[in-house]
Amino acid sequence: MKDSIGTLALGLLFGFCLHRIGFGSWDEVHKMFTFASLRLTLGFGLAVVILAIGFSIIAKLQHPKWAPRPIHKGTLAGGLLFGVGWAVCGACPSIALVQLGDGQWLALWTLLGIVAGNALYAPIHARFFQFDSGTCSPD
Amino acid sequence: MTYWPFWLCALALSGVALLHWLLIGRMFAVSGRFTALTDAIRNWKRSADSHSELSQAEMLEALRAATIAEFGLTEEQAAQMDAELRAQAQPAPQRPPTSKQSLPVHVLFFVAIALGAALSARMAQGHADRTLFFATFGHSPILLGSILFGGGLLVGFGTRMAGGCTSGHGLCGVSRFQPGSMLATAAFFGAGIVTSLLLGALR
Repeated sequence: MKDSIGTLALGLLFGFCLHRIGFGSWDEVHKMFTFASLRLTLGFGLAVVILAIGFSIIAKLQHPKWAPRPIHKGTLAGGLLFGVGWAVCGACPSIALVQLGDGQWLALWTLLGIVAGNALYAPIHARFFQFDSGTCSPD
Repeated sequence: MTYWPFWLCALALSGVALLHWLLIGRMFAVSGRFTALTDAIRNWKRSADSHSELSQAEMLEALRAATIAEFGLTEEQAAQMDAELRAQAQPAPQRPPTSKQSLPVHVLFFVAIALGAALSARMAQGHADRTLFFATFGHSPILLGSILFGGGLLVGFGTRMAGGCTSGHGLCGVSRFQPGSMLATAAFFGAGIVTSLLLGALR
């Protein structure tokens, strides 16, 4: 129950923030990737710096068991495919939901594509690939 | 609409990622939730497909009767077989208690994101800009739907292949100096830059 309430609260906060940040706007994402505006790039970079400090403090205090994220055969190829997709549809996974909340009903196609692409990967991985992609398992 | 300045974006993104760890005790990773969602659907479908009318006890009883009939066992031989089988029987494997969040919680997170964005749009009385989007791809609903579905396919497939997306790799992985996250983030930002520059040139 505590888990559900925390997840609900964080989802609401995350959706609100993403909308205000402008990640739900295809135009803003496009301007970030074409360097027409440095606002999102700087915001993301500074967030990583804050997190580096935050996580190092948490690591010292709590000694958490965080799963390592090593490079594997899917890292580069998967990252490249994701980058192309993000630039085309203007959405990383959670953004499709932000766009729906914003009233962009076309984003239903994006969401459908993300779910289909994710589901499609499992049988293709089992059939053709022989590596552990360790998809964001909860630490 | 007007968006937050870069420093507020940074505070919001890092705040959500840190709160996710502090409140829920899990690393913030959205594409992992999509993987859990599709895996749950597939497992549910598989277990529905393999549903049998016979319970395991009924199945064992039928097998025992068929064995006795096939080999014409006497009562004593049948009792001996039962004893041998009981001696060989192994305790059912104990499953480790699962600590993963269940499907409804993932769905709750997705719905909450959409609601949070809707709340923001309502309070700001503004929507995310899509002028460049329509200028790039036009207004044909069929074309736009195909482009977005195709892009979504790449996002879903790529994030699962790379083992993470902007949240898990980009924010939480890079800030912990994980080599896989740094390579994946460089790859998706690089591919995004090249693709966007091409799209801009085609416009």
